[in-house]
Amino acid sequence: MTRRAWTLGEEILTLFRSIGRASLLYDIQDSHSGNMAVKIRGADGADMILITATGSQKGDLDPSQICFLSATETDYGYYKASSETDIHQRILAIPGAGASMHAHTKDLSIATMDDLPKPAQPADFIPIDPLGRKHLGDHVHVDWFAVPSGSPEMAALIPKRLEDHPATVIQGHGTFVRARTLTEAFFLQCVANNAGAVVRTARKLKVDVEALRLEIQADPAAHLAYLPDAFTIDDDACCDFPEETEILREFHKAGARVFESRLSPFQTGSMSVRGVHDILYAPKASMPRDLRSPLRRLPLRPAETDTGELARHKLIYAETDFQTIMHCWLPEAEAHSHFRYPGDEAVSDRIVPVDAEGTFMYLVIPVLPPDVDEESFLKKLHEYKVVVVRGGGVWAVGHQSLSEVLHHPSSVREICLYRIGAFEQGLDLRKMEPKKAKKW
Amino acid sequence: MSAAPFGFFGKIIEIDLTGGDARVLPLDTALVADYLGGRGLATRLFYDAVDPQCDPLGPDNVVVIAASPLIGTTAPTSARGHMVFKSPLTGVIGTSNSGGGWGHTFKSAGYDALVIKGKADSPVWIDIAPGKIEVLPAHHLWGQDIHATNDELTSGFEAGSRPRALCIGPGGENLVLYAVVGNDKNRVYGRCGGGAVWGSKNLKAIRVQGKEKIQIHDKERYQSGYDQALYLLRQAPVTKRLMRELGTAGLVELINVINMLPHRNFQDCTHRPEDLERMSGETIAKTILEKAAGCYLCPIGCQRHTRIDGDDGSTQRGEGPEYETVVLMGPDCGIYDLAAITTANYRCNELGIDTISFGGTVACAMELGERGLLGAEKEGGLDLRFGAAAELEKLAVDTAHRRGAGALLAEGSYRLAERCGRADLSMTVKKLELPAYDPRASFTQALGYMTSPSGACHLRGGYAVSLAFFGGTKEIPRFSLLQSPIAIRNMQNTGILQDSLGVCRFTGYAFGSDPWSRMLTGVTGMDFSVFRLEEIENRVASLERLFNVEAGATAADDALPPRFAETPIVVAGEEKMVSEQAQERMRRDYYSVRGWDSEGRPTRALLEDLAIAPRAGRAS
Repeated sequence: MTRRAWTLGEEILTLFRSIGRASLLYDIQDSHSGNMAVKIRGADGADMILITATGSQKGDLDPSQICFLSATETDYGYYKASSETDIHQRILAIPGAGASMHAHTKDLSIATMDDLPKPAQPADFIPIDPLGRKHLGDHVHVDWFAVPSGSPEMAALIPKRLEDHPATVIQGHGTFVRARTLTEAFFLQCVANNAGAVVRTARKLKVDVEALRLEIQADPAAHLAYLPDAFTIDDDACCDFPEETEILREFHKAGARVFESRLSPFQTGSMSVRGVHDILYAPKASMPRDLRSPLRRLPLRPAETDTGELARHKLIYAETDFQTIMHCWLPEAEAHSHFRYPGDEAVSDRIVPVDAEGTFMYLVIPVLPPDVDEESFLKKLHEYKVVVVRGGGVWAVGHQSLSEVLHHPSSVREICLYRIGAFEQGLDLRKMEPKKAKKW
Repeated sequence: MSAAPFGFFGKIIEIDLTGGDARVLPLDTALVADYLGGRGLATRLFYDAVDPQCDPLGPDNVVVIAASPLIGTTAPTSARGHMVFKSPLTGVIGTSNSGGGWGHTFKSAGYDALVIKGKADSPVWIDIAPGKIEVLPAHHLWGQDIHATNDELTSGFEAGSRPRALCIGPGGENLVLYAVVGNDKNRVYGRCGGGAVWGSKNLKAIRVQGKEKIQIHDKERYQSGYDQALYLLRQAPVTKRLMRELGTAGLVELINVINMLPHRNFQDCTHRPEDLERMSGETIAKTILEKAAGCYLCPIGCQRHTRIDGDDGSTQRGEGPEYETVVLMGPDCGIYDLAAITTANYRCNELGIDTISFGGTVACAMELGERGLLGAEKEGGLDLRFGAAAELEKLAVDTAHRRGAGALLAEGSYRLAERCGRADLSMTVKKLELPAYDPRASFTQALGYMTSPSGACHLRGGYAVSLAFFGGTKEIPRFSLLQSPIAIRNMQNTGILQDSLGVCRFTGYAFGSDPWSRMLTGVTGMDFSVFRLEEIENRVASLERLFNVEAGATAADDALPPRFAETPIVVAGEEKMVSEQAQERMRRDYYSVRGWDSEGRPTRALLEDLAIAPRAGRAS
């Protein structure tokens, strides 16, 4: 064992702290659970690993709780570091891996539980939401371990699982992810948990998830409106409009609310404000208060280099008078978009509020099919200001402000929660829905 | 031409005062589909009927008043009428809206719109009821104020069949360029000088009476919009509490908080709190308020019925003062005397002059006086100083009668200041006096004043102050050059919709177009989806602009007075003004979002895209 005079840089400490706090806010850790690790190149040219200390509170990390390890040899930090350090070290040895993270992704863990006699190999997790399928793949391995925490068996299998998948599930425990950066690792954890939340919520609504999975596996394009943009790792610090101080503040406020209110997983979704010639665009709308995401000023006219997400914003602006747009991947809405009323053959084409405020704020929330044409999409946005696209997230528009447009997905979440809660209790939603919703 | 849709009677009255002829014309359903009612319909009928180059006070000017399909239903606040004419004050479109009950009763007479042309040889009034349209001599009414005229024409009827009268006072008769047309005594078509146009036509009053009912196509759809609208009106703090408890004057201290409350002809926005407290909505409620009330079908109830007890034991009763009146006849004139403002307000209401333009003109005269710029004007008795509260009431009376100094004030602040060689001291856009929100405290409001079709009007230009302070979820940055053009376009469009529906601007504090869309579609059975409503809003905005361009307005008219670009005010510790460059950028961007060319002219392609047909009877 060698002893080195490690020095923790302010930037990396801030990142660990911010992601630690954010993971608590997003409820994918308990007070002391999980761990995060990154591989960095030291001044001497050697790789080293920074990993959270065992038993540390991820929501309040001290500098002393970031442990330094050599990537190739064990340093004294090993004795303080996470009990799952061996797993992280092996994950970080995978080519291209720069960070790893373990989190208690409860929604995904619950969605992958089974009651089979053990030992048994659990079924893979099949995401039914576009975010999950884009970023996790069409399946995620789930493994049962006799000792499901820090065991040699885990150290042997999990890195193998992650060689060709970004995430893997330890049944009843949580998720490990492999990523290029710690920010991406957190992103993947959030997406994974979100995928679990969609499945769990769909089951609460008596959606036949297994049948749906088969349909999606057979023909993904028919069930997913489109796949989200690829995740980028090198542009989070970018802000193209620092001089627009008032608007900037609105972006940060709205972004924090999207994240904290779980309207879209970390660094997913998008939002924008249009000017006359420009669009101020946040391609990663969900941003915790102390974790920045890119903020772009782009020409309003379409460009060949536009991503699918950005192109959708520009299309809406080109065809309407709206000034603000928000797109969120709201798990409750995604799950609800597959809802069938008991006895109905067809999936419902609307979400009807049954709560007091939702009832008066919204007549209905339209649910559009994945292959909705542009004209119908725009018309429904005009009429209702917010729509759910099955396999495409929640789209909302506003005439004036980001705050205005933020209100819509936030309301949709509450509307869905009330309906799901009522349905779980065996209440008859049709009886609860206002008559006026029939004329929509 | 097809049968009248639900929500309309399908009839337009056209009266030519020159010959005293009246005829009833069918209302083209296509016009309703494209222009809705109220402001939209009136603007189209006006555009088709008038020569934009006409003398606003000549016989060729045309006055159009239109109702909307919601009038006659239970839709909240839906009793407002809208009047369009060429303004004698501004030379561009005069477009003005009023509460009260006249609009509802006019519709109940079985008509959708009224077009008035020509000029009577001598004073006349018009009597309208189902099956009856008469042009009658008005010698006995000429010279009477609005209250007396209203009483004269509406008394003596059985309860339930009482008619309503729309009339002018001496202000209109004497062609004060900002004279109003009033109904229910104190509710007025206030801005742009419609009263003077009536006066120029020798038209004193229009009485309406009727009990005709409109048919609703789909009551369930209508009801769903109605329920939502009413619920939201009862939720929003402004509509459920502020306006009822404090009236619009409840804004005095709130607008001061955001440094928008003008002082001494907009020289600054600095006031002593104790001064404002003497004239706040709270003080009005505690001291002079007798009761709050609302217009027909209004659940908001912002009307202030007040009384002033004189030192000599006398008592005066009336309505007001409203926020704009309090500020423009108050702090903007350096006056913080509630009794003086209120009594002057009473006189303005009775005699029929706009309190905003009157206050703004007096403030301008005061600054000219303090700067020693009044020469020959002094000989007319005009020699004012800021704070001259004792002069206010007399100035209002003299202005309405064009007596002494009043003859100069009757021309508005721009002509007065120009006469003194300092047009820059007139706080106007297109010669219309600014309302009581300093544009330096909100770029959005600034652009609204600049681009309002009728000149500096917060109601036609976009009520941006609601976004600056009461926007709720819609609150936007106040100093964003990027957001202001689209924000104000959208605010203006909301105003066009409300004016075309015959509903109150304050409903916008509670909800947008969605409930209206359902009510309107329910009433008419026509496609008035939000998308269609936005088309109509944009169509009306460009038609108004087209008229203004044809009347001679240019991009140079879309500008604030130099003071706002040269002299900063302090907002939240920072100096703020609307520089020429900022104005230029916002103006350019605004034209662009409207689809107008760089000079602010609607392009031929836009007119085709919006299906704005050439003036009736004229090739494009």
